[in-house]
Amino acid sequence: MAWLVVRLAITVSLLYTASAVFEDQVGKFDWRQQFIGKVRFALFDTHSQASKKLLVATDKNVFASLNSRTGDLFWRHVDKTGPEGHIDALLMYGQDAVVVVGNGRLLRSWETTVGGLKWEAVLDTGSFQAAALVGVQDFVKYVAVLKKSAISLHDLSSGSQIWVENLPDSDTVQYQTIYSGGNGLVFVLGFVPNSHIVIVEYKIEDGEIMKKKSVEAAWMSSLENSCAVISSGILLCVDQITQSLYTLPLQSAEQTEMRQIHLQTLDLEVASGFPPVLTSTQPNPAQPPLAEFFLQLSPDHHILLQLKDGLIAPLRDFNPSYLAAFATSGEKTVAAVMSPKNDTACSINLFSADTGRRHLDTTIIYHMDPNGGKPNRLYVHAFLKKDDSVGYRVMVQTEDLTLTFLQQPGRVVWMREEALADVVTMEMVDLPLTGTQAELEGEFGKKADGLLPMVLKRLSSQFILLQAWMAHLWKLFYDARKPRSSVKNEVTIDTLSRDEFNLQKMMVMVTASGKLFGIDSKSGTILWKQYLENIQPNSIFKLIVQRTTAHFPHPPQCTLLIKDKDTGLGSLYVFNPIFGKKSHISVPALPRPVLQTLLLPVIDQDYAKVLLLIDDQYKVTAFPSTKNVLQQLQDTASSIFFYLVDTSQGKLSGFRLRMDLSTELIWEVVIPTEVQKIVAVKGKRANEHVHSQGRVMGDRSVLYKYLNPNLLAVITESTDTHQERSFVGIFLIDGVTGRIVHEAVQRKARGPVHFVHSENWVVYVYWNSKFRRNEFSVLELFEGAELYNSTVFSSLDRPHPPQVLQQSYIFPAPISTLEATLTEKGITSRHLLVGLPSGNILSLPKMFLDPRRPEVVSEQSREENLIPYAPEMPIRTEWFINYNQTVSRVRGIYTAPSGLESTCLVVAYGLDIYQTRVFPSKQFDVLKDDYDYVLISSVLFGLFFATMISKRLAEVKLLNRAWR
Amino acid sequence: MQYFKRLLDVYIALEALFALSWCFSDAEPGPVAGSQSNGDRFKIEGRAIVPGVKTQDWISTARIQVEGEEYVGFLKTDGSFAVNDVPSGSYVVEIVSPSFRFDPVRVDITSKGKMRARLVNYIKTSEVIRQPYPLQIRSSGPHTYFMKRETWGWTDFLMNPMVMMMVLPLLIIVLLPKVVNTNDPEMRKEMEQSMNMLNPNPELPDVSEFMTKLFSKGSSKSGGGNKGSRSVALKRR
Repeated sequence: MAWLVVRLAITVSLLYTASAVFEDQVGKFDWRQQFIGKVRFALFDTHSQASKKLLVATDKNVFASLNSRTGDLFWRHVDKTGPEGHIDALLMYGQDAVVVVGNGRLLRSWETTVGGLKWEAVLDTGSFQAAALVGVQDFVKYVAVLKKSAISLHDLSSGSQIWVENLPDSDTVQYQTIYSGGNGLVFVLGFVPNSHIVIVEYKIEDGEIMKKKSVEAAWMSSLENSCAVISSGILLCVDQITQSLYTLPLQSAEQTEMRQIHLQTLDLEVASGFPPVLTSTQPNPAQPPLAEFFLQLSPDHHILLQLKDGLIAPLRDFNPSYLAAFATSGEKTVAAVMSPKNDTACSINLFSADTGRRHLDTTIIYHMDPNGGKPNRLYVHAFLKKDDSVGYRVMVQTEDLTLTFLQQPGRVVWMREEALADVVTMEMVDLPLTGTQAELEGEFGKKADGLLPMVLKRLSSQFILLQAWMAHLWKLFYDARKPRSSVKNEVTIDTLSRDEFNLQKMMVMVTASGKLFGIDSKSGTILWKQYLENIQPNSIFKLIVQRTTAHFPHPPQCTLLIKDKDTGLGSLYVFNPIFGKKSHISVPALPRPVLQTLLLPVIDQDYAKVLLLIDDQYKVTAFPSTKNVLQQLQDTASSIFFYLVDTSQGKLSGFRLRMDLSTELIWEVVIPTEVQKIVAVKGKRANEHVHSQGRVMGDRSVLYKYLNPNLLAVITESTDTHQERSFVGIFLIDGVTGRIVHEAVQRKARGPVHFVHSENWVVYVYWNSKFRRNEFSVLELFEGAELYNSTVFSSLDRPHPPQVLQQSYIFPAPISTLEATLTEKGITSRHLLVGLPSGNILSLPKMFLDPRRPEVVSEQSREENLIPYAPEMPIRTEWFINYNQTVSRVRGIYTAPSGLESTCLVVAYGLDIYQTRVFPSKQFDVLKDDYDYVLISSVLFGLFFATMISKRLAEVKLLNRAWR
Repeated sequence: MQYFKRLLDVYIALEALFALSWCFSDAEPGPVAGSQSNGDRFKIEGRAIVPGVKTQDWISTARIQVEGEEYVGFLKTDGSFAVNDVPSGSYVVEIVSPSFRFDPVRVDITSKGKMRARLVNYIKTSEVIRQPYPLQIRSSGPHTYFMKRETWGWTDFLMNPMVMMMVLPLLIIVLLPKVVNTNDPEMRKEMEQSMNMLNPNPELPDVSEFMTKLFSKGSSKSGGGNKGSRSVALKRR
């Protein structure tokens, strides 16, 4: 019963705090974009002519079906991250797609129209080498999977294993390829480096080894790419060193040596240092491949060759050419070749595969993005037109992971920016003011003018406002007459301007591939993109806004620090976040590894904040480093402190800047690495405001918050992972003095720990390994009933340690990420945004994470609006701010204040990107969306007319009475 | 026979004991289990049902998550699923779908591969309320993501009890004197009579009897049944 009462109390209290979405708000201020990642395999559904399906498997362990007409997702399946979900191969036959997952561990067949699994088979362990469809008598029935030491055959319709056989001599021979020509045999090709090739022939019915032979091939160092099976089962290899092609019929018994054909006899030569690549095509897995093949001799030289009567003859030389690919439609096989046209464009042409003749009117012009990368993959979708000629569309993937789908004569049907599937960090930048807005702002800036000019200025600005309003009304009127679909006003970089509540911002996103994006937060349109070449694959990025848009004529300025993970060497890239243009500011060279960056509130004469970079010799580099800045730094050096974390030695150290930009060590805290390791260190966000200094208690006294801006929260995990002895520790350390303000340990707990450090509280989540559940713990720091020094906070002068309150709760779901809402002035109550693995983002009122929640309800706690303590945290689907727009693998949530105090902008990123606004205390500063204008005006008019009429009636009555 | 039954009882009790004890001495945490050989990896099987909805309409957006994203499985076209390569331990299995709500289930796998499903209880973690295994997870309906807007209509306004309480007396006060002409002597007489009717008057026994009759009829009607009224009538006689 008591429980019920508590529940009731909670629900009642929630009525006031819940920030839920209303159904009519769907899509009004939120949007989601779904991504798949870098495409590794792409297959067009050629089963039927009308099919729009494009199946893709990506490096993000995603298997998806795209609509090839629009580029939208039909469905998408996101597997586990890491090698266990890695997609090794994708094969397609008819309606079924067979996928090999997790280094050959799972074999899955998908029903591609529905997007559901047809069957799933678990294979034996062993590293995956190759997979192929196997056909018998023009009919594909099986799928063969080659592992390092075994080959297995599975039924295509049920997934059941037909047979599995060990490969002979698998410890010395590297088996790499499978081939089947539809004649009842499966060939497994392997080789011993620089010695010989091994060919094993299996019977399809029972897996019996029919034949096994080895052929001398002393030149061979790899089978993949340099070998292919063409024509009726002839193995073809190319070797760079001997500059030769080698052929060998797989089935012939007599030929025991590979036939060598010198490339010189064909007037060809492989570019030095380039491993030549052979590409063949087998349109139907139940039939032998074609006799035609591509040979790539250098990065931009392909040649189409044909094997005829044992002789190799060139059909067509494509020099220069970037990419070449085969495609089949019906009985016709074509080859598409991409060649450079000029500096900014490429042309793609279609050639018939058997003759090498060019098809007329098949040119597609592909315009390369000057800010993008080079094309590196070409996928061709060929189809038969009504007049039986071959038409085609192509999908081009570039280095910067842009997918472009083109059709003749070069129309871009759709485009996907798959780099956005891996956003590393982001910032939101205010949009610039328009001319009128700047005028108005300017009025308040100068105060030196006299009275009359001020009045005139005021009048003129009011006039400008009136003019703008009239124009706005006119536009509304004009738009209202047009059909709704055509009104959609396009957002371009030129029409960008700040809206009246600063709700629309520029999202600057940095992706792992080194591509930068500028995205309009209102619509999700990509306004600019910039690909940075030569970025190491696992670099660390840090994005810093040095100058906002507030300092007109100076353009806003962002700095991206790119740091190599292995060497630690960094470089700076400075750009304008609104237009994406690179700035021509001279950037300091960073010859030594960068350990820490520090953005100071000190600004130079151009209003750019100063960025300090600390290298591994504790030397400081300032950027920008003008004379003015250096002078300011010298003046303030004694009050500039920073900290460094060395996780390998478990050392936290604090430094102070000296006048000559060298540093001195002030404090050092060592957390012994034998017991625990530092997992994460977080300070507070610099742009955070705290509105109230304390909390009013039930007895009208005030409990003051301990608001230390220099406080660091350090999370440690035990090195011992045994569930009885593992623990999670938290240290609160003052970053200036090194004093440990508080420490707490959670026993029988382990990570991953997610935490938020803000105001006077730290919220952290850990896994309770004893009870196997996630738990939230909240730490709140208070100064007590009196403030020590209410005017200014100094870490050096704080004699009293803060009072620390802590409470823990059960959270009934796993957690992916954690962040807190942020508003302009910090008046609005805070919510925690919890990213769940299900893809939902939960907005949890901070009220629930209050260590002062009482176990026994008293009059005072009721007065304070404290919710009675309940061990389990509620999760309600109404609190999911992204309703059914789930964000897969949410990795980070970014929050930014808007111009409205009630509103916080939220961007969740992971595999998908979702942008929305949240109102933690509801929209208290603007009229609600559903404000009933009709009612209020009808009531007003009604009252007005009622007074008019009753006045008239009263007059008549008075008159009548007078006559009586 | 009796002996056999007893044996069975003992066996069941023992098994329950074993399960309980196992429950407390949990398997190793994730990383250690991950390094185990593939021999002791198991498969969690089950079926998901959304009543009244065809499987092809929802399975493409759904997936099975075991302990967050630690292990992931997909749904077959008939609604069944299997999550492979799960080492022994205790896991929360959840079907995640943006449109339908499924309750999570805790699945315990012993080191020998024995499976057991039970309700998830985060507070009393050792409590066992068994669920069928292979899992049968039935959706409890679509998610409710949205709050209802407070709509405003004339009927809502008029049907408000406060408004009704205010309006009715107003009507009586304003309208009654107008409808009934108080100056008419006949009318006044009638009203007096009706007032007397309401007042219990010993001089007029028939009226009171009429009233009681009326009330008894009314109450029996609300009691709902011809039988009741007849019996009352009988008693009266």
